Amino acid sequence: MKKSKRIAKYIVPVVIVLVVVLMAAVPSFTDPYKVVLLRTILMFAILTLSWSLFSGTTGYTSLATAAFYGAGLYTTAYLGDKLPLPLIVVCGGIAAFVLALLMGAITLRLKGIYFSIFTLSSVELIKQILHWYEINIIGVRGHYVTRVNDVTVYYVLLVITVLLMLTIYLIKRSRYGLALSSIGSCEEAAAHIGVNVVGLKVLTYAISSFFIGMAGAIMATAMLYIDSYVAFDLNYSFFPTLMAIFGGLGNILGPLVGAAVFTYLREILITKYPYHYMLIFGTVMVLTILYLPSGLIGLAQNIWKKLTNPAPEKGLKTEGGKHADTSC
Amino acid sequence: MKKKSLLLICLIACLVLVLILVGCAGNKAGNNGAGNNDSNNSAGQNDSGDKKPLPDKDKIVLGGARSLTGPLAIQDQTCFGPVYRMWVDEVNARGGIYVKEYDKKLPIELKIYDDTSDMNTMINLLKKLMIEDKVDLLLAPISTGFLHAAAPIANEYGYVLIGAEGGAKELESMMASLPYFFSLLNYATHQAQPFVDMIAEAGIKSAAVIFIADQHGIEYSGALVPLLEMAGIRVEFSRSIPQGVQDVSALIEEAKAKNVEALLCCAYPDENFKVMSQCMESDYNPKVMVFGPGICLEVFHDIYGEATEGVMGWGAWNEKSSPEMADLAKRLIEHQGGVRNVDWWGQAIYYSGLQALEQAIEKAGTLDNSVLRDVLATETFDTVIGKLWFENGGVPAECYPGQVGQWQNGIFEVVAPSEKATAKPLIPKPAWPAQ
Repeated sequence: MKKSKRIAKYIVPVVIVLVVVLMAAVPSFTDPYKVVLLRTILMFAILTLSWSLFSGTTGYTSLATAAFYGAGLYTTAYLGDKLPLPLIVVCGGIAAFVLALLMGAITLRLKGIYFSIFTLSSVELIKQILHWYEINIIGVRGHYVTRVNDVTVYYVLLVITVLLMLTIYLIKRSRYGLALSSIGSCEEAAAHIGVNVVGLKVLTYAISSFFIGMAGAIMATAMLYIDSYVAFDLNYSFFPTLMAIFGGLGNILGPLVGAAVFTYLREILITKYPYHYMLIFGTVMVLTILYLPSGLIGLAQNIWKKLTNPAPEKGLKTEGGKHADTSC
Repeated sequence: MKKKSLLLICLIACLVLVLILVGCAGNKAGNNGAGNNDSNNSAGQNDSGDKKPLPDKDKIVLGGARSLTGPLAIQDQTCFGPVYRMWVDEVNARGGIYVKEYDKKLPIELKIYDDTSDMNTMINLLKKLMIEDKVDLLLAPISTGFLHAAAPIANEYGYVLIGAEGGAKELESMMASLPYFFSLLNYATHQAQPFVDMIAEAGIKSAAVIFIADQHGIEYSGALVPLLEMAGIRVEFSRSIPQGVQDVSALIEEAKAKNVEALLCCAYPDENFKVMSQCMESDYNPKVMVFGPGICLEVFHDIYGEATEGVMGWGAWNEKSSPEMADLAKRLIEHQGGVRNVDWWGQAIYYSGLQALEQAIEKAGTLDNSVLRDVLATETFDTVIGKLWFENGGVPAECYPGQVGQWQNGIFEVVAPSEKATAKPLIPKPAWPAQ
């Protein structure tokens, strides 16, 4: 094994541990608004990591993230004043898990653009059904949610993030993860060697959605008012996808870095350049896709390799950032 | 030990550490929790018991998370946006607002962030304005839903929030727990009674209600239908339409077939304009047509021209309401480069809210929002619409310059209540002009 790889093996876990410890300590030394900002970053990190756990590995581009996030939000809207907070968060996860199982069972026999469009449409379908139900059956649109302070929301999101990272790590290191990768590489070949392709995809879809639902359930307590248009906003489907591409697919750090940089960049642009931020943001995304197909992590890996090994080895390839390919 | 196990152990250690910190921070967070209005001191305000001298101040920062992009942006462009921008320019032209505790006039600096019409972004930016930027005063975000979310947050941080676009009757039940929130715009209940009285007096016998599947639609149809029935007006149907609906011809044909005399459309501009267009296409011309927001905008008359004659909408005020309101309209048009971009429902009321805020600062002699809140809740203010005061966080019906407007010869006349009317109601409305 090359020396640089051996160093990276130790550096990555140490850096992750340090970052988590630092983030856990943040509320004690920073102003409350930084906690609000980091809370948003963590929320998008969970959405992006969960998205990449399924879509990044299998190559199926799901645009139903907003549906699972909305399921979590609505769980809190209905149960917020009936159950203790930890239980509500878990219920939000379960609601999203069940929804993903149902959606997965229906849609995961579809492939490519058909799957993506179906997942996108499902967000709109759930939004409209809930909206119709509230207007015509209940007679009131929207729900108030009991507020939880920002620091508690932040810590709950941090715990969910760590749990999600652990889950991804364990999955990737298991036979289950290997089977998932084989689906991403060539689904037909995976089926031929005995992988239960549909079952595995549905289960992974549901597991990744569980974390999205939990994030939605806790974020509802920060949003205070939930209605179907707020909860099932398609931005929650598009942003995680863009963030994962921005950060780089293929490893655990890419979506994390993508979510953090993307959210922070958006915040800066919205507040400093409110009339031009869409233009700047769009330009950054186009440039990223054109010139950084492996995302920010791919760029960092290339720089690291150049620094540690000025003469590139023949056949050495970038590790992260490549979209999974469903074609064999 | 295997290297992969090392990472696993590290991550588990992290999780345990975070869980411990959650427990430790829980108490601290609880201490910083909801209802801590002392946080308002972070806005540069001074406790009455604090004897520290005030830092020198050269401006009042007025912050707002407003929708500059996205589906709500049109409201900033046509409703409250032109009003607060003009008011700030006017105040600064006068040298600012006199604040006794600084013994000088302070000009206003606007600090507006774009919430992109997204609720979560709005909440974050509102907190940024209060916690990080420590603005002195807040502007309300756009829409009823956003107000629902913003009011408790502003209340928690002890910032006065005077509503603008939006505001549902549903909020009234929360007012007791939101002492820092003041709702400006008319409720459905303010407008439904004078409207029904007016059409009943005109001898209207039947009505149909089309309402948007939204809190606005629920409240307006909920207020109108019982009053219509009590007045002896037969309600042929009351049906909801989804937001963004493209075709309402089936409902219009049904109303036409039943010879409904009054068509009530409780929807938003896009849907209202669609109903109006499809009524014209179907040559359905009921004796009374009343629409929700959008019909009060000058742009409605620009689009439909002569066809607006006799069409009613909620509101209302115009240049004939009073010399002060005539002057306001003139200044609004001038401030927009001569473009007659006026909202004949909300803009006079929004401007009055800003005048009330200005007078509250002068009366209180401080920028301390807790004192401003008390002044706003208890005092009466001289504004462009006349005397304005707040009761239970809302504006009483008698303060409004009108409740129902009707386009007559290119002017959005106030037609109800009769004591505020600038013209008699035109019932039945004239036929559609020849195409």
